[in-house]
This record gives sequence, C-alpha cells and structure tokens, in this order.
Amino acid sequence: MAGVELLSDQGFRIDGRRPHELRKIECRLGVFRQADGSAYIEQGNTKVLAAVYGPHEVRGGRGKALHDKVVVNCQYSMATFSTGERKRRPRGDRKSQEMTMHLQQTFDATILTTLYPRSQIDIFVEVLQADGGNYCASVNAATLALIDAGIPLKDYVCASSAGFVRDTALVDMNHLEESSGGTELIIATLPKSQQIVFLEMNSRLHEDNLSAVMDRAVAGCTDVYNVLDTAVRDHVGETAAAIGGDAA
Amino acid sequence: MADEVRTAQPKEFYRKYLEQGVRPDNRELGEFRPTVLDIGSKNGSCISTAEGSALIRLGNTIVICGIKGELAEPKTETPTEGYLVPNVELSAVCSPQFRPGPPSEQAQVLSQFVANVLKNSQCVELEDLCIAPGKMVWVLYADLICLDYDGNVADACVLALTAALSNTSLPVVRVDEETGKTETDFKEEKKIQLTCTPISATSAIFEDNVLLVDPTRQEEELSTGLVTVVTDGKNICSLEKPGGSPLKDQQMRLCIERAFQRHTEACNLITQSQGSTLSTLTSPLVDR
Repeated sequence: MAGVELLSDQGFRIDGRRPHELRKIECRLGVFRQADGSAYIEQGNTKVLAAVYGPHEVRGGRGKALHDKVVVNCQYSMATFSTGERKRRPRGDRKSQEMTMHLQQTFDATILTTLYPRSQIDIFVEVLQADGGNYCASVNAATLALIDAGIPLKDYVCASSAGFVRDTALVDMNHLEESSGGTELIIATLPKSQQIVFLEMNSRLHEDNLSAVMDRAVAGCTDVYNVLDTAVRDHVGETAAAIGGDAA
Repeated sequence: MADEVRTAQPKEFYRKYLEQGVRPDNRELGEFRPTVLDIGSKNGSCISTAEGSALIRLGNTIVICGIKGELAEPKTETPTEGYLVPNVELSAVCSPQFRPGPPSEQAQVLSQFVANVLKNSQCVELEDLCIAPGKMVWVLYADLICLDYDGNVADACVLALTAALSNTSLPVVRVDEETGKTETDFKEEKKIQLTCTPISATSAIFEDNVLLVDPTRQEEELSTGLVTVVTDGKNICSLEKPGGSPLKDQQMRLCIERAFQRHTEACNLITQSQGSTLSTLTSPLVDR
C-alpha cells in the first residue's frame, strides 16, 4: 500500500469525500463572445474551458471533407501552468494527442454528424488547472459548449471516473488518487439511454469487481448529468428572460 | 438596421459616431472598456497550481496569466541574475481567425513586446531571483493565454502580467554550501518585490487623425495604425508605433497623457483586487 491512505477506516477519502460523492461542480455556459459556443467547468480543483466553432466550411484542404457527415475536429491543450511541474508543451505531446483523439471519437459518436455533410465543427478544450479527471472535465465542458452552440446531439455526454481501493469503488478520482497507481476506469455515457460511448481502464482489476466499479462510474455520470442539465436549464431561462421571452 | 450598416459599411458606421465624439459602445475616445481583474495566489484563488496568476477581462477580451517557477543554473556572464521568460499564446480557442498550429507571427511579436516591457521597466530585479550565485537561480515562466480575442490584447497582457507578478510568492530555497544539496521550505514563502508597475495603453489611429484608446477588434481592423505607450507612473518604459499613419507631435503627447491616466486607474484596480477575498476564477468569466 502506498504511503498515503486513500480511504480511511471511517470510510472517508483523502479530500474528505465519501466513496460515492463527486467533487463540487460549478459550470457556466456562454463565457466567450468570439466562439459560437463556450463553457467553463470546475470539478473540484480541475478547471477546464471549452470553445466550439462551427459548423463551418472545412479548413485546411478540401480533401478532409466528408460527403456524408461533418468533420469533428478537436484540440486538447493544457496550460503550461496547469500542473504542479511546469508543462513544456501545452499540446502536441503524446498524451495530449491521445486525449485529442479520445475527445474526437467521443463526440463523433454523439453529434448528429449526418446533418452537416461537407462541413466542420471545431471543439477546443483548454485545461487551466489540472487536478485529476481531466478527460472527464473536458468532455463535460465540451458537451456544454456544444449545447451552447446549438449543435444537435443524441444526448448529453457525461464522463466520470472510478477507482478501486480497499474493496470499495471510489467515484470521480482526484489527482492524488489517480497517481497512486491503482485501478482507474474512465467512462463517458449518454445518460438517458444509459449507453457507453467511451470506456477506458488501466491497471489490473479482478473480474468480480468490475461491475461494482462500472456501476459507480455510471452512477457518477448520472450525477454529473443532473448538474449539467440544471446549468443548461438555468442558462436557457436567463437568456430567454434577457430577450424578453418566456423561460422554458 | 444599425447592425447591417456596421457589417456592410463599417467605416461609414464609425465615422457617423466619431463625428459626435462617441464610439458605438458608448465610450468616449479616451475611455477604456470596463476592466475586471482577478488576482490569485497560492492560498487564494485563480490558478492554485501556479506560483502567481491573474485573469483579466477588458471588455470582451480575456487574458489569463500564470507564473511558474523553476530552478536553473545562471549564465556565466551574469552569475547573480535569474530569468524571467514571458510567452504569449493566441490559441485557436480565442478567435476563429487563429488556426491550431505553431505560434503565429502576431503571437511571437506580442511575446517579444512583453519581454521588452519587462526588460525596459526592470520591474523585477533579476538579482532577487538569485539563490546561490553562480550555482542556482529562479527561472520564472510567465505564460499568458488569450482566451477571448476582442482587440487590444497587448494592454490586457501587460496588466495581467503585472498583476500576476505583484502577487507571486516563491518558496524559500537554500543551498548547502558543503554538500551542494538544495533544501526547499514550502512553508516559508517570499513575495516577489516589484520596483515599479508597468502599465500600457494602446490607441488606434482612425482615418489618420482620430485616436481611439483601447480599440476593440473591429476598431483594430479598421485602424490605420497603432500606438502603444508603457509607463510606470513616472517614466515612460516603452513607446511603440509600428508603422501606420504618421502622427503629429501633439497627438503623440495625447497618447502619452492617456497612458499616465491609465496607469493610475490600473494601479487602483490591482490594489483593489488584492484586497478583495471574493475573487474566484468564475467572476470575470461570469459578470458581463
């Protein structure tokens, strides 16, 4: 066992949460003027911004255009000051590239891509402060930004993670829990249909325990969904009030 | 109707307003946009992974600055001086006009401008960053990221940087003379002392004669030249007029006068934000 105790005998985690509790989520839609859609999310100490541009004409060579669906272009970038040790490159390193790919695959599966053939949608994600669950926060922020941009989605995409410590599944891992070297399962779901669009697990885990960890992560996604949905409804209400219409 | 004229005949649109001495966003010619500043420190808010940070919202322009410290060996010709390395990033997030990829020319020019301001004003004594002469010094990386681009990023960058530096604390590091080992004391922190507070003010030249301070993106696009004046309250630290329409001596003086006015304003803003405990990263992103 590592030097730090990730779960106390009383059942509390290192930051005082219970195993099933998420970190505090604060989010906001429409933070930028230039972008077609934007959002900001804080999950505990992880802070992520997302901006969406499009749908627009395909940039960088016509060859990229697809005749039957939209090109989803993502860019994941971490501010150099977002981590404990200064990051040399904000993007382009192998880890960011992997993250970019994952985001692209996640949103390719969620956006109603066939509605905009021969066009492109850009999703830019910027991590301002990283404290674990970067993928999850990025997906949640990007979902909000896409909703803000008015791009048709099958459903919200909500992401959450779960780990397994002392025979207990822990939801929404922070950096300390992530870096302890235990199991981590990252999942992105469409909460209404309970479908999984993205799943990744690293480190070993006994087969018998998998369902417990999965269930906890999926439950985390549902909790995230409730928070995001409230934020979207509030935002729509505010916007409607501002232009003088009736709030939905 | 007004929006159509604005898009179709932007110059005509502006001319009509400027004849009355106002701008389309109700500002006077010498007025800055409302500025919101959020300063964080390690114990405070903003970015807690950075040694110092600040987020500024100048109208719709948003810039965030984070300062990270690292240890390095000094140059042999300057054994007692640390390094201060600014870098401005105009990422694809902030505007549709920027494409993902290597830093654009504009971003590199801005980085150089900020580096010049730091060098000319000498607001941070590089000797303060020395830990053991000839052996170890601090390198401060000041990374500025533009999150939303609506003109006048230069002024926003300088203000964000000054604000972030004014609230940067570094842990105390000691080097054992005999063993050469370093000891870091994270409990004891030392604030960086600024000898002065450089603040810049940019004006756009419209139709060769009107000077618009703090230009928006559209004003920048329409302008025939830009003038940037950086002051520290007493002295002029830097003056830049990269080409564009020629200016009279009197107009140049007006720019300088406005820069001094802006300096007082900005310094008040920094002191106020340092005093307030309310600031969270969301506040400048949320209030509009």
